[in-house]
Amino acid sequence: MTSVTDARPTERVLRTASDSRVARFVLAVSTIVVLVLVFRLFTNFGVFPESWDIGLADPIDRARRWLINNQTSHWLYTVFLNPITDAIDWAIRRLESILRWFPWYSYPLFTGVGLWWTRGRVAGALGLASVTLIGVIDLWEESFATLALMGVSVLISMVIGIPLGIAAWRSDAVARVIRPSLDAMQTMPGFVYLIPFVLLFGVGRVPALISTVIFALAPVVRLTEVGLRTVPQVTVEASEMFGATERQTLRLVRLPQARPAIFAGMNQTTMLAMSMVVIAAFIGAGGLGQVVLRAMQSIEVGKASEAGIAIVIMAIVLDRFSTGIATADPGRDAATIRWLGVGVSALAVVGGLLGHNAFPESLNWQFAPYVDDATDWARDNLYDIGGSGIGTGPFSDFVTLEFVTPLRELLSADIPWPAMIGIGFVLGLWARGIRLAIGIGAALFAIGFLGMWALSMDTLAQTIVGVAITLAIGVPVGILTAHNDLLRTALKPVLDFFQTIPSFVLLVPVITLFHVGRIPGIIASVIYALPAAVHYTDLGLRRVPAEIHEAAESFGATRGQRLRRVEMPLAAPELMVAVNQVIMLILAMVVIAGLVGGGGLGLEAVRGLRRSDAVGRGFEAGIAIVLLASILDRLTRAIADRLRPPAAV
Amino acid sequence: MDTPNETAQVRVEGVWKVFGRKPREAKEMAEAGSTREEIQTATGSVVAVRDVSFHVATGETFVVMGLSGSGKSTLIRCVSHLVAPTEGTVELCGTELTQADGAKLRELRRQKMAMVFQHFGLFPHRKVVDNVAYGLEVQGVDRHDRQDRARELLDTVGLEGWGDHYPQQLSGGMQQRVGLARALAVDPEVLFFDEPFSALDPLIRRDMQDELIDLQMKLQRTLVFITHDFAEALKLADRIAIMNDGAFVQVGTPVEILTSPADDYVRAFTQDAPVAKVLQACSLMKPLDGRAIDPEWHRVSSTTPLEVALPHLLGSINPVLVCDEHNTPVGLLHGDDVARVISENQQ
Repeated sequence: MTSVTDARPTERVLRTASDSRVARFVLAVSTIVVLVLVFRLFTNFGVFPESWDIGLADPIDRARRWLINNQTSHWLYTVFLNPITDAIDWAIRRLESILRWFPWYSYPLFTGVGLWWTRGRVAGALGLASVTLIGVIDLWEESFATLALMGVSVLISMVIGIPLGIAAWRSDAVARVIRPSLDAMQTMPGFVYLIPFVLLFGVGRVPALISTVIFALAPVVRLTEVGLRTVPQVTVEASEMFGATERQTLRLVRLPQARPAIFAGMNQTTMLAMSMVVIAAFIGAGGLGQVVLRAMQSIEVGKASEAGIAIVIMAIVLDRFSTGIATADPGRDAATIRWLGVGVSALAVVGGLLGHNAFPESLNWQFAPYVDDATDWARDNLYDIGGSGIGTGPFSDFVTLEFVTPLRELLSADIPWPAMIGIGFVLGLWARGIRLAIGIGAALFAIGFLGMWALSMDTLAQTIVGVAITLAIGVPVGILTAHNDLLRTALKPVLDFFQTIPSFVLLVPVITLFHVGRIPGIIASVIYALPAAVHYTDLGLRRVPAEIHEAAESFGATRGQRLRRVEMPLAAPELMVAVNQVIMLILAMVVIAGLVGGGGLGLEAVRGLRRSDAVGRGFEAGIAIVLLASILDRLTRAIADRLRPPAAV
Repeated sequence: MDTPNETAQVRVEGVWKVFGRKPREAKEMAEAGSTREEIQTATGSVVAVRDVSFHVATGETFVVMGLSGSGKSTLIRCVSHLVAPTEGTVELCGTELTQADGAKLRELRRQKMAMVFQHFGLFPHRKVVDNVAYGLEVQGVDRHDRQDRARELLDTVGLEGWGDHYPQQLSGGMQQRVGLARALAVDPEVLFFDEPFSALDPLIRRDMQDELIDLQMKLQRTLVFITHDFAEALKLADRIAIMNDGAFVQVGTPVEILTSPADDYVRAFTQDAPVAKVLQACSLMKPLDGRAIDPEWHRVSSTTPLEVALPHLLGSINPVLVCDEHNTPVGLLHGDDVARVISENQQ
């Protein structure tokens, strides 16, 4: 074959590919419009019929009662669950008592030395001061409960996760099972994990720990696998050529080279565990999360802020320490740090023997009253500034009345439910194919059958508004940072900060300004998801190769033309990843915001966790959240794949 | 191709390597004369190596020269059994690798062979000395002994004092010296080189080639060397195999290849080759056959390039006397022969 005849079919394939893309899109949109019109005009379908509710709630409530009655007698508990519960509970208690044995001052000192070692002097000093602050605001005792739960969770995650990662790397069959499970585990808002474990174990630290481990497991498994897969093949061949056994190659060549990736996984796992341990206060995990939760329920913003600050300090210290540990290079301070480490260790033992474990009360100082004053001031002065109709209150009302409520009405009532399912089906068909379409249709039906249709549409409406606001802010900021290194450097710590904070804590400052309702939840979720939107936009645009920029410029394209015609289309898959991430983050947060009056599925789930007679409904809501999350996740990822340029022919 | 050799340390017979789902169909198409592209379109499989056979004698340097995609890299992996050949047999030091089980193969690799890689393949997490000691560590040699041996080899390749650095702190040339030391540390009988110098700057490459020649003079190992650089092949090889589209096109000594290229494909390489630089006096000399020697004749050593001997032949009817390292005459170089080879090469 000559090259000329070669080129023709390729060209034809490309042209028909792009033609059929447009055609399919037009077809999808017009089908949706027709669907909605037909159902609106010729039928009187509205909300999913209540009589079709198959009602999982009752059987689950019955199961729950049975479980409570049989907790001391049935073999499921005596042989299986209770020993697990006891062992985990023992481990947490043991760790907590060990942690408490050391003198209070050893913690700020260890933090200071540790951060000096991994991140330098300034970080060390800041770490020392901020850990002391946790004691100063009188949250020392609660911090230990959180830390112990964290410690055991992370440890168990490592012990399970690293071997799982190795197994997934070694066997494609195992990977095929593990990978989708991990995807599913990461798709679900962490909050949802609590529900089934409460059902099995009741409230307390054990279900909290188990759900934390499951929620936090994914990164360490995934990055262990990735780390092992990306070990350069030539080093493995070299090892093989020396007659190394598989085991020797793993131990001497593969694992050491995968170490940075495994450390990165451990860091992410730690951060996920942190955010989950805080949320687990919902089911009586205690600790700092519980302080936030109680304070938010009684709208004691000051107290909630203090606990929030303690959580943020803990999260940031753990993050900075665990990201620095793989690359620590203290340089010329190394010797000093080593001696300091030895000194602090000795001091810790001596102080422990002397019983210096309680944080001295004389150092206590609380800023809660000031925050409360500021909150009162904000409520009086910012909620409706001078009665002018401008302020956070009218803003909330405006967004609620103009966007959230109409959208909810549109989704749950104005678009008849069969049309809604039809839309999901058509989108699935357009984005990937018949399997996704059927999956989405089935998931929507299931939501209806669970009696969660209206609540799901409420949550979906809040999610859509949140996503729209996040993208409207995040994408332009991402475009700016992609073209301006200075701005990027300046924004990075801010974005990092918001990504490190456990999601739950973000609700605290928002309710000081916006009170309770749907709006604080949406705003908190926007803040929570904004870093991801900026990051992926920036990443996508920066991936556009320099020669393509130069080529566009050489044709005399203006900056605007370059952005619209060249950069954005090339960055489209990354932008779609941004949309996917933003949707998942917003959904997770909107659900948690059920706690502050966010309504929708979240409220139902929260109620289920707190009131034993509502567990059944809560469980249904949980399943609906999972279904909704999966639909949105699969759909956006399918669209992202569709936007990728065709692979080389 | 070449006659079976009793002292052959590497014997490769009818080796095929097909990547993909349909190896048999692909092989049949290849045997019927289809090109790689045709086979790939029809079966989705890639024929990387097609029916390659060769023997390498003890102490010989066998160079496989081919362009990228010619299958040479796959071939050396089949021979060292990093990749299992689809068909054919490979015998190394009297043991058939294709029949050996995992333990036997490991045993052979620990005792008999070693490989030097294109991108060095050094372990970035290990110090230079621990890189060199790796083969010994795998064999279970204790720490003290293997480190001593590793430092000894670092001296041999001119890297004394660099043992406690990490590979990425070294220049490319130095890294490949580490790779060479690592391979030599296990005292192998057969050494495989997978384009070891292609990632290096031209000047460094020349130094490394010279050093490899020196080392080989001393060690007399069996070398299988892969390269895409024809000049490198001419410089290092006892025999060269030219590879194209997965098969050997021609196998012969550098002089044979230069003086009688098998086809246009080989001729394309030989045309640009600096014959007078590459060929040495010994490769064109005629035996003395008891001829009387005139003490006036110019003397050159057997490794002298033709271009150095050439001025002494021009404008003189006398041959040049070729001598070994003890200055004992071993042959005669005639101006006619040199002129013939150079002019043939230019056609």
